[in-house]
Amino acid sequence: MSGVDGLKAAALLFVAAIFQVSIFSQARVLGGEPQILLVTLVAVALLRGSMFGAIGGFFGGLVVDTATLSKLGLTSLVLTLAGYWIGRYGETTGRDRAHAPFLSVGVTTVLYAFGVLIVRFVLGEPAPAGPMVRGLVPSIVLNLILTAPVYWLVRRLLRPLDHGDYATEVQLLG
Amino acid sequence: MASRDRTARVAVLGTSVQRSRNERRPSRGRTANVRRVVLLGLVLLALVLLTVSFRSPTSGALHDAQGYGASALRPFQVAAERVARPFRDAYDYVSGLTGAKAENKKLHREVRQLRAQYVANLAAASQLAEFKALLHFEELKTFPKSFRPVNTTVISFPGTFAQQVTIAAGSSSGLRINTPVVTADGLIGRVTNVTPRTAQVTLLSDPQSSVPAVDITHHVSGLIRRGPRGTFDLDRVAKEAIVKKGDVIVTRGTVDRKLPDYYPYGIPIGTVLSASPSDIATFLTVQVTPYARFDQLDAVAALVPKK
Repeated sequence: MSGVDGLKAAALLFVAAIFQVSIFSQARVLGGEPQILLVTLVAVALLRGSMFGAIGGFFGGLVVDTATLSKLGLTSLVLTLAGYWIGRYGETTGRDRAHAPFLSVGVTTVLYAFGVLIVRFVLGEPAPAGPMVRGLVPSIVLNLILTAPVYWLVRRLLRPLDHGDYATEVQLLG
Repeated sequence: MASRDRTARVAVLGTSVQRSRNERRPSRGRTANVRRVVLLGLVLLALVLLTVSFRSPTSGALHDAQGYGASALRPFQVAAERVARPFRDAYDYVSGLTGAKAENKKLHREVRQLRAQYVANLAAASQLAEFKALLHFEELKTFPKSFRPVNTTVISFPGTFAQQVTIAAGSSSGLRINTPVVTADGLIGRVTNVTPRTAQVTLLSDPQSSVPAVDITHHVSGLIRRGPRGTFDLDRVAKEAIVKKGDVIVTRGTVDRKLPDYYPYGIPIGTVLSASPSDIATFLTVQVTPYARFDQLDAVAALVPKK
């Protein structure tokens, strides 16, 4: 892992955040919304671990909140936790598994939606659960469609780490 | 504790990894602690930002910083919007073709109705000046005489939860909090947050939005709100009031100078879809179809008072 990786991840997440607020938020299908930022974050976190996931989530959320003039920190909070959690999954059981990106995107889409809903509800912001639940399945499908090309692109830019880079996190046997 | 130069078998992968003697890695506990500290720090920072944002949503140092950030991001958003425009136009063209035949028939019917209405309006207009003089009518803010439009584009769109868009014009163009925003079809909302180069518009479809409106056919006033099933309702209409399907709903404007309204009189909002009394409801249930297409917002105009 290097500073170059960090810059690449930041550039990827920045572009994804801009595309999210300018293009993908409007592309609604059956009430669902494709979330390219979330998919990109999942790919970065799986390939580079929990630190990159958490920092990338915070940064991506900050760009979204700034661009849309929303409450600063709202999207960052949920994406930080999502990035960290997926990063941990990538560092441990999800490593090298072909289904890991798809499983992670599916689960994170649901958790992110409920996470934002809960945070908004706690803060007293409008949090209509009905439209969110109705659009959840289409959102998962749209995000899964995005997963393969986005993961392929991120994997090309951020080469997977050697197994040894993870070894400090793993219990040694014998 | 395993020594540094022994063969280590990784539990999860079951592969052997030979570590070199010189390789230096942080201890497992230290890495985990750093990771937790970073996560905790970021979560705390997000909570601090949220708290400050909530305490002063439209002013203060953080709001100013967000304004500068939004201004810096604006060119990227405009560029992304331009990249997407050909695809969006192609989609709109194809979807437009599929509904063109039915729309043509509907438009022909509307033209006939409007022609009849135009003749009636001409007759009424000829009497208007005379009636005004008779009533000593004091004219309040009306559209478009007292306002100038600031034409701009939408650069970010509403998410699942927030019915808000960001537009590429801000306080440097004269926009203020509560400035009404329209499309060529009708009212879409009002400005709820403004920076020098961008502004946030809360749409009529937001559950917390309400607009004083009037049925210009039967002169019945009410409040346009988003209904429980995502429809638009003309709320607070007395049960005995007469409202018919097809009636045109416009903004009511300022009635009392002491309580000025955000919206000038006469901005089209929509037409009545249905009006029905209910045994349990206190008011008439009036559903309204908005003129503006909230799913296809592109070019918009903010109405800035001339004075």
